[in-house]
Amino acid sequence: MKGGAAGSSAITIEKLTKRFPAPGSAEKFTVLHDISLTVDEGKFVSIVGPSGCGKSTLLNVIAGIEAYDGGGVTIHPRADRRGAEPRVAYVFQSPRLLNWLTVENNIHFVLEAQKVPRPRWRELVTKNLEMVGLAGQERNYPLNLSGGMQQRVAIARALAIEPDILLMDEPFSHLDAITARKLRFDLMEILQRAKPTILFVTHDLSEAVFLSDSIYMMTTKPARIFKRVTIDLPRPRKPDSAELFDLEKNLVREFFSVVEANG
Amino acid sequence: MAAGLKTVGLRAASILVLILLWWAASAAINDADILPGPDAVARTIVANFQKPGPEGESAWFDVAITLVRIFVAFAAAMIAGIGIGLAMGLNRTCERSLLALIPLMLTMPTILMVFLAIMWFGYSESGSLVAVMAVVTPYVAVNMYEGTKAMDKSLIEMGVTFRASQRLLLRKVYLPQLMPYVFAAFRYAFGATWKIVALAETFGLKFGIGYMFFFWFQQFDMTQVLSWIIMFVVLMLVLEHGLFARIESRAFAWRRAATARA
Repeated sequence: MKGGAAGSSAITIEKLTKRFPAPGSAEKFTVLHDISLTVDEGKFVSIVGPSGCGKSTLLNVIAGIEAYDGGGVTIHPRADRRGAEPRVAYVFQSPRLLNWLTVENNIHFVLEAQKVPRPRWRELVTKNLEMVGLAGQERNYPLNLSGGMQQRVAIARALAIEPDILLMDEPFSHLDAITARKLRFDLMEILQRAKPTILFVTHDLSEAVFLSDSIYMMTTKPARIFKRVTIDLPRPRKPDSAELFDLEKNLVREFFSVVEANG
Repeated sequence: MAAGLKTVGLRAASILVLILLWWAASAAINDADILPGPDAVARTIVANFQKPGPEGESAWFDVAITLVRIFVAFAAAMIAGIGIGLAMGLNRTCERSLLALIPLMLTMPTILMVFLAIMWFGYSESGSLVAVMAVVTPYVAVNMYEGTKAMDKSLIEMGVTFRASQRLLLRKVYLPQLMPYVFAAFRYAFGATWKIVALAETFGLKFGIGYMFFFWFQQFDMTQVLSWIIMFVVLMLVLEHGLFARIESRAFAWRRAATARA
C-alpha cells in the first residue's frame, strides 16, 4: 500500500449541503442534504442511489467544479505529497476524450494540466495504457477505438495523474452489458496493482457490491445518505458468487423499504 | 482513386471545351479589339512576365505585390475575426456588446465599403487593408462565435475538472473544435479578400494585377485586359485549391482516420 498509515482518510465530507434555484420560483430546492462520508486511502467506496438523487452533483462538488452551500469537503493528498494541491481525477459516464488528439496526447493533456514534469510523461503513458490493456495504442486516434476501449483510455488518463482521489460517475453505464462486465472485472485487477482511492457513483447495486469496500446508500427527496455498508469479502471476487448475490438482495430490499417509506 | 481520375479528366475536358469555344468565337468575330483568341492572350501573358511593362516592371512584380497585399489583409482580417469571435463566445460582456454591431457590418455592401475606405484613407495601402478588414472580419467573427456555441460543453468540463489552464483549454479543447469553422471562414475570407484587393487596385492603388488591368482597360487593349484577368483567376484558383485544400486535409487527419474505419 502506498501513502500513509492504513485508514488515513483521503476525503472527508461533513454535513455537505447544496441547493439549486428552483425554476420559476425564488425558493431553492435542496439537492444534497447533510451529506457526511469518508473515503479511506486506497479504498473503493461507492455511492448508490436512484437516478436524479444528486450523486453526480456530489462528485462535481468534490471535483471542485460546483460550489456548495453548507458543510465542508476536504481532500487530503497522499502521504508522499502532503502539503501539495490535492489531485482529483474523474472518469465520466462517456469517455470525454479529445478526438483530435492521439491516445497518448489525450493523456499528455491531463499531465500538462496537472503540471506533471515532462520527463515522467512517457513512463506514465506506457504504464497506464498497459494497465488498462491498451499497450501499443499510443498513436491511435480515439475514434478508431470501440466504446469500451475509449472508456479504458479515460481510465488510463485518470490514473496517469496519480490521483489522490479518483471519482467515477457511472463509468460503465453507457456500455453494453458484456463490455461493461469485462471492464468491471479488469477494473478489479487494476485496483490490485495501482491501489488508487476511488469514489464510485452508480445506480447499479450489483456493480457496487462487486467492486466496493464500502457502500453509501442514498435516497432522494431530500437527497441524503441513509446507510453505510461495509463489504468484507476477500478479493479477487467472482461477480456471480452466492455471497455477493445475497448481499445485493438484502440491500435491494432495504432500498425499497426506504423508498416506500419516503412515499 | 478511379473516381478521382475521372473527375480530373472531366474538369480538364470542360476547360478545354471552354477554350475551344473561345477560340471559335474569336475566329468568327475576327477582331482582336473585341475578342482576341486564346493563343494571342497566352502569348501576351508570357511576354508580360518576360519584359518590363508600361511602368517599367514585369508581371512578376505586379503578381508579387498583389499577393503581398492579399496575404497581409487576409491574415489581419482572419486574426482579428478569430480573436473577436472567440471573445464573443467566451465572454458575456463581449457577446452582448458586439452581437448587435455585427449584422450592421455584414449588411454593408462590399463595394461601398471599398469606396468609403478610399475616401477616408486615400489611395493608400491602409485603405485596402481597412476595406478588407471591415468586410471580412465580422464574417469570420460570426463564424467563430457560432463555433463556440456549438462546442462540446462536456469536454470543457473535463478539462476544468483536470485543472487545465485557460491557455491549455484554448489550445487543446477550444481551437480544435473551432477548426471546421475557421476553415469555413477561411475560404470565404480568402475569396472576399482577393476580390476587394482587386477592386482597390483597380480604383486607386499603384502596381498590382488590378492596377495593370485598369491601365490596359483605359488603353482599351482587350488582349492585355483578358491576359491580366486570366492571370489573376488562375493564380487564385491555384492558391485556393492547391494550398488551402492541402492545409485543410492535414488539419483534419484525425477525422479521416474515423471515416476510414466506419
